[in-house]
Amino acid sequence: MIQGLLNAIWGMLMIKIENLNAYYDDFHVLKNVSMSVEEGQIVVMLGPNGHGKSTFLKSICGLVSKVKGSIMFNGTQISGLAAEKIVNMGITYIAENRELFPEMTVLENLKMGAYSKSARTHEKKNLEKVFELFPRLKNRVNQMASTMSGGEARMLAIARGLMSNARFLAVDEPSLGLQPNLRDEVARIIKEINIAGITVLLVEQNIPQITELADQLYVLEEGQITFEGSKDEALGNDHLKEIFLGM
Amino acid sequence: MLVEIIDVIISGMINGSVYALMAVGLTLIYGVSKAFNFAYGSFYSMGGYVAFMIFGAHINNYILVFCLAAPILFLLGYLIEKALVAPLRKRDDWEIKVMMITLGLALFLDNSYQVIFGARMKSLPTILEGSIELGDFILSYQDIIIFIFSIGGILAFRWFLNNTRTGMSVRAVAQNPAGAQIVGIPKEFVFSATFAISTVMVGMGGILLAQKYFVTPMGGWDILVKSWVITAFGGMGSIKGSLYAAFIVGMLEAFVGWHFGMNWTLIALFAVLLTTLAIRPQGLMGKWG
Repeated sequence: MIQGLLNAIWGMLMIKIENLNAYYDDFHVLKNVSMSVEEGQIVVMLGPNGHGKSTFLKSICGLVSKVKGSIMFNGTQISGLAAEKIVNMGITYIAENRELFPEMTVLENLKMGAYSKSARTHEKKNLEKVFELFPRLKNRVNQMASTMSGGEARMLAIARGLMSNARFLAVDEPSLGLQPNLRDEVARIIKEINIAGITVLLVEQNIPQITELADQLYVLEEGQITFEGSKDEALGNDHLKEIFLGM
Repeated sequence: MLVEIIDVIISGMINGSVYALMAVGLTLIYGVSKAFNFAYGSFYSMGGYVAFMIFGAHINNYILVFCLAAPILFLLGYLIEKALVAPLRKRDDWEIKVMMITLGLALFLDNSYQVIFGARMKSLPTILEGSIELGDFILSYQDIIIFIFSIGGILAFRWFLNNTRTGMSVRAVAQNPAGAQIVGIPKEFVFSATFAISTVMVGMGGILLAQKYFVTPMGGWDILVKSWVITAFGGMGSIKGSLYAAFIVGMLEAFVGWHFGMNWTLIALFAVLLTTLAIRPQGLMGKWG
């Protein structure tokens, strides 16, 4: 509460969402979701499958057509804007199912990641950064995306997201379907991205390596926020222990 | 005999090249929007009529005609897409509705041509009179130019798709619309631009072929059917498949027409199409799903 008040005064909130409702056809997926993300944080939203986590991220990024409520990004209302405008403002979604361009090479995929106007001028610099972060991609620039393994494709999806020069990344279950060692790798990369100054909002089912990164945790169940707090607070919450740890 | 066969091959190559130009356009819209454009044949006639009007304004240089017709066709295609197709895209099942509305548009356009230009066929001047003789065969300059323009058009289009940002965004939307939206490609613009580009491609084909086959109000249906056969045969949405299929269809037509008579060409075409689709429903180079 006090933290929130201070943020409001200092204007440190990058994302402020109030009473967000989202619908798929007639299905009411998100119900009055309110939350906020401070600049420079990693915020993790946990929740069971099918309870609206992906819809939540997509709503922020302009990828859900029926949305009601307020989404402020650095003080600008972005709710209802077209996806390309939101990308151009510095918000990028990294999809759970990767959404790569299968018949393009790794390099072409990365270049498409820098499609938006605000990213074009930084394309070269961001490409270098991305290759530093993902050296394996550099050796495979001419490989077709469709021929990559699941883990590599995941890395490419994250790398493509970074090409957009985003200041805010909405990352959808980055460790889904990955082996434990690759999960560690993803967690390390998310941490590095954050250290480089990019704010991250990440949704996951409970993956310890990822949850560990969180500055702030939210839990989304049946389209509603049921918990908000720090990692320690989460550990002390019996309901959360029950649903995530089965204790 | 040998001379005749070579003549037939040349004629097949020339028609095949124009078919390729037109079928690639149809494949492109299908590939990008997954909706079939039934008005495609009417855009072919539109090309012919636009050129006819430009000639009517006493502009007799073909280069100028192409330079004027291309932006006119682009604009017409763009406006038609924005007015008729784009609003449907907000609804469910819009692919089916697009087919319905483009079918209606085709009938509307063809009847408009009939009212405006009359039912009589219009001819366009030959692009270049004369021919070269190589021993026993004669190649008209007209055919050579048609071939060069068609292949040039396809190559230019290929270059556009592979080397320009807009071209790459067209490929991106075709390969993964959701992914395209994620990276910030304005999907709506790409849909409209693709529709407009394909209108230019088929319209150019219309101008090229009008010198040989005239412009008539209903002349587009034959082209729609052929373009569709080529697209389905080559594999819906596969540009490479359409290219191969276009030349196969051009050759097939030429040989069947030469050996059995022109009446048999369409029957042969459909027989080949049906056989191919029965064995390989996705077409030569198409993919499942």
